[in-house]
Amino acid sequence: MEGTPFERRALHDINLDIADGTFLALIGHTGSGKSTLIQHLNGLLKPSAGSIKMGSTELKAGGKKQDLKSLRKKAGIVFQYPEHQLFEETVEKDIMFGPRNFGVSEETARLTAAKVIEMVGLPESVLQKSPFDLSGGQMRRVAIAGVLAMNPEVLILDEPTAGLDPAGRVEIMELFYSLHERNNLTTILVTHSMEDASRYADEIAVMHKGELYLHGKPTDIFSEREALQKAGLDVPETVQFLQKWNEKSGLNLALSKFTVDELAKQVSQSLKKRGN
Amino acid sequence: MLQNVIIGQYYPASSPLHRMDSRSKLIAAFFYLFIVFLANNWLTYGLLIAFTFVTISLSKVPLRFLYKGLKPILLLVVFTMLLHIFLTKEGDLLYKAGFLEIYEGGVIQGIFIALRLLLLVMMTSLLTLTTTPIDITDGLEHLLGPLKKWKLPVHEFALMMSISLRFIPTLLQETEKIMKAQMARGADFTSGPIKERAKAFVPLLVPLFVSSFKRAEELALAMEARGYRGGEGRTRLRALEWHQRDTFALLLLALLTLALFLLRN
Repeated sequence: MEGTPFERRALHDINLDIADGTFLALIGHTGSGKSTLIQHLNGLLKPSAGSIKMGSTELKAGGKKQDLKSLRKKAGIVFQYPEHQLFEETVEKDIMFGPRNFGVSEETARLTAAKVIEMVGLPESVLQKSPFDLSGGQMRRVAIAGVLAMNPEVLILDEPTAGLDPAGRVEIMELFYSLHERNNLTTILVTHSMEDASRYADEIAVMHKGELYLHGKPTDIFSEREALQKAGLDVPETVQFLQKWNEKSGLNLALSKFTVDELAKQVSQSLKKRGN
Repeated sequence: MLQNVIIGQYYPASSPLHRMDSRSKLIAAFFYLFIVFLANNWLTYGLLIAFTFVTISLSKVPLRFLYKGLKPILLLVVFTMLLHIFLTKEGDLLYKAGFLEIYEGGVIQGIFIALRLLLLVMMTSLLTLTTTPIDITDGLEHLLGPLKKWKLPVHEFALMMSISLRFIPTLLQETEKIMKAQMARGADFTSGPIKERAKAFVPLLVPLFVSSFKRAEELALAMEARGYRGGEGRTRLRALEWHQRDTFALLLLALLTLALFLLRN
């Protein structure tokens, strides 16, 4: 709210290039500006200074009404708790909402709905049910399917696993990762979880107090543990373990992936070597 | 999009008016509603205007904010003023064009009525600008307390009000969130023919209703789980405190009333 006591600067001095096909994790403490940043990416919020460029479309501060619809088709956002956006009588109709808004014919949209419902791991029989009869986890999948049905080139995920059980978390994240790989998407994942970021991301951008604090490859980011802690974050547990392990053993092990499996492999290999 | 909505219009600041007890402010505002009608000549109106503007300057609320609150009723004020100007036929004839006749009495009457309306709205918006909605509710509950004798559910009424006030920002946030989510799916709330636009609100309203009902149920459950059983014997977190300044303010108002009585025609 400009010019009132409620005015607050949410974002400031952000220079971020995201190459096509990147899986970027946007990480930061609550209130660091992650959600605000991604809402600029498809024109839901407009910058008061600076510009945003996506493909050939550019959003400038103070610019006139631009073609937001094509921008929004290109960048699909899965919001936090996306199940809250369901409204139609049937799952099928709800999934068709996005494509229909972007001018896809009814038949094509129906075919798309059948395709995406399988992508998110639900049976086709769900399509004719009311979304409000489903369980929370199923509703979340339907809502995600609704975004996927728009066939976006850039997929923006705002904490898509918040409030899910651990198994559901892994499933949903694996789903996004395989989509990212298979369809050659550009994915931007907003998350609190360093574990998720380390597991899936090619690049990590750390937000702190509305500014871009760190940006780089996961390995580079994790080498700056102190800086991360200053932003209220920490390196993932696997890296923490390895750093301690390296300290104690005097070795210099490195991880190519930041999973527990990879860590176990590295450690057991080094132990075997020492045994010899 | 919804950023222009300031609920209850509360303007956070630190001023003598902000620090006053909500009960004294409520009494004063209510009392003011009546004494405005005592004024009937230039002197008494001048007194009221002076009093009102001193109060406004004491409140530290910028005039710009007050004007925002006045905007919606300005049309009404102008309309009533014109009605009086054209329809009152008293005093000297000032102007005549065809069937239109403007009399001196009409002009004066029109100005007085407009002033009266403006003063009323300014004072009452000052109440909401300097008092948080929750404080107003608490104050009302206190002031209406005696009505409990006649089995009026004062506590329940106040509770309902505080709950709705508490959830307005939540509801607004939720609205904005769902609106954005549907806009990201290509929904368009701002253009197209009226019929289409009305339809476009279905994807917004259905989720809002669903979540509101869910929230109400959860709240009721949470209240019961914590042993809520109505207002009987309940103490409060924010106790209202009556200070000297509250008594002083009411005395000042009484003085103003006396002056109005003496100076009116």
